[in-house]
Amino acid sequence: MSAVARTTVAAAPPATVPGAGGRRLPRTLHPVAWWVWALALATAVSRTANPLLLFLVLAVLGYVVTARRTEAPWARGFKYYLYLALTVVAIRVVFRAVFATGITPHDHFLFSLPHLPTPDWYAGIRIGGPVSLEALLSSATDGLRLACMMCCIGAANTLANPKRALRVLPGALYELGVAVTVAISVAPQLVQSVQRVARAKRLRAARAHGTKALRGIVVPVLEDALERSLRLAAAMDSRGYGRAGTATRRSRRVTGALMLLGMCGLCAGAYGLLDATAPAFLGLPAMSAGAALCVAGLRLGGRRVTRTRYRPDPWSLPEWAVAGSGVLSAVLLFANLGYDPAQLNPSFYPLTWPGLPLVPTAAILLAGTAGSVAPPPTPAPAPAFARRATTP
Amino acid sequence: MRGGRLLRMLAALGLTSAAVAATGTPAAAAPQPMGRCTSTSGAVLAVDFSHWGGPVLRSCGTTPTTGYELLNQGGWSTTGTGHDGPAFICRIGYSGFQRGRQYPTPAQDDCVLTPPASAYWSYWHADPGARDWTYSQLGAMLYKPKPGSVDLWIFGGTDIQGTEGRPKVTPDQLRAHNTRPQGDAGKPASTHKAPTLPPDADTGPAPERRTPPPSKTVSPQQKQGPRTSEKPKAPKPSKSPTGKPSTPAPAASRTGTRVVNAEPAADAEHDAGSLLPVATGAGLVVLIGGAAGYVAYRRRRAG
Repeated sequence: MSAVARTTVAAAPPATVPGAGGRRLPRTLHPVAWWVWALALATAVSRTANPLLLFLVLAVLGYVVTARRTEAPWARGFKYYLYLALTVVAIRVVFRAVFATGITPHDHFLFSLPHLPTPDWYAGIRIGGPVSLEALLSSATDGLRLACMMCCIGAANTLANPKRALRVLPGALYELGVAVTVAISVAPQLVQSVQRVARAKRLRAARAHGTKALRGIVVPVLEDALERSLRLAAAMDSRGYGRAGTATRRSRRVTGALMLLGMCGLCAGAYGLLDATAPAFLGLPAMSAGAALCVAGLRLGGRRVTRTRYRPDPWSLPEWAVAGSGVLSAVLLFANLGYDPAQLNPSFYPLTWPGLPLVPTAAILLAGTAGSVAPPPTPAPAPAFARRATTP
Repeated sequence: MRGGRLLRMLAALGLTSAAVAATGTPAAAAPQPMGRCTSTSGAVLAVDFSHWGGPVLRSCGTTPTTGYELLNQGGWSTTGTGHDGPAFICRIGYSGFQRGRQYPTPAQDDCVLTPPASAYWSYWHADPGARDWTYSQLGAMLYKPKPGSVDLWIFGGTDIQGTEGRPKVTPDQLRAHNTRPQGDAGKPASTHKAPTLPPDADTGPAPERRTPPPSKTVSPQQKQGPRTSEKPKAPKPSKSPTGKPSTPAPAASRTGTRVVNAEPAADAEHDAGSLLPVATGAGLVVLIGGAAGYVAYRRRRAG
């Protein structure tokens, strides 16, 4: 009796009190919390073109990803998003230099590209010509903004488990979700398959180069993929995938019609909201009608699928904190309170050092607290305390 | 390695092309007092600030020039967008109007992306003798105003058909009507010259050579007083189907279009900002990056 009490007392504090030198139980955060956090941060980034703030966002993303990623295959891809970001910036700068946007007498002249003369009726577009430092800097900042938004999405992909994220789909989309899960696990499985075949070939001392060696790898990998998909199909079939359940033909038709109409409404609404000259009823009314139809269709379709959930992801305090820190930073960047909005978008014409407005900086650092608020996904690297707690 | 060589080759190509290309004649555009513009020489620049409760400001510049240069001399200044560069005129300011504040303000438009077609500075020309405005087919950096023409910038929206957002003032209200330069004819006009352009700067198609008519053949209509348009006049709707010559009617004034001459002024002082925020930001980035590196190191050691 006393031993049980002692162990619960010893084990409970590390799980609930993160501060007092204890370590929280490792678990993965709810994937939706990571997605809300990352999308909110991307929204905040869309508001600013201040290179200091953008670099700060990149640093925060890097910190949170290194601190809270798992060791799963999808969790190792953040550096590829960084390469992609670098490519985006480079493309933006090259395009700005080639399709010259004009140089003013006050600019800092850097170099000149060969100028392609265009006929008079095409005089609005210039190719080549002088390139100024200001043009390169402002295009790099512009590219950096897009790159930052892409890295936010990349961070969400790295941090959240895509298979668990698909679980939160409404019941009507369950079958679609399963298909997507199968699709996204194809690439890691192929890589695994190639590595296995290559290793087997090495063990048999077969030729490792040339077209023959390639054939020796491709054929077994394809065979492996086909076998695996047949097994998967049999497994899904035996679990009742794709069954219509108790739904009648009429209810299925109604569901389909509702979803189609709802999608049309959403498309028309998006068009009406983006085009200022579109008639007023195409804007918000069409959007909300489409959304309502979609929700009704999903409800109706979800009624025929009954699913139980094995070990549902909890949504508790860390989830609220992570999602809230992201949303709060986006709100602070859009609120225009306590700082000059011009500082969010500094101009490089004429060259000026960008400022560091206090409130947006604090907002981005606040989003960075997700790196310590979220529970660690793997057991802590320093096992001293854990050993003491678990072996009394 | 290969990238570096490519970069060097590109740089060499650029430098040679810069050296080989014939350098255009440096633009000698200069701001002038309004009286120096006549019906056949100089280009009149007019900017309509009525969207912010201001007047239509009018000033004068020498030709040859570009629409952009007219807007960036003698106290005028513009801001481009982050997406399109300085050639897209997003904000316009004059040091004599609201202490050089540029409009639209950052709160109204952040000038990061191209402004919407419903709220932007539209660019209109009126050649000498033209009674109506034409919408500019070229950007401010490419268009070269003819001597004696008027350039007008108005803020608002336009549509593709050209029925909306046309200027409410007529070219005749803004045009210089004197036949010879007024005022300080003896001394050089102004010292606020635009710096010379860098080599190989593309200044667009050459302006049309126009032989100025001798001053004797000036029509009597143009022989009005030099500053008649300073008084508010009835703005004639420019969409009048019968293109009658606009007879200046000094009475019948309408509120809203005040035409005020903007004399050449010194450019607003440019403040390059302080290095402290940059240092602070770089320090923060290094700090967080270092934390990330430390976490990665610990993970690698543990795993």
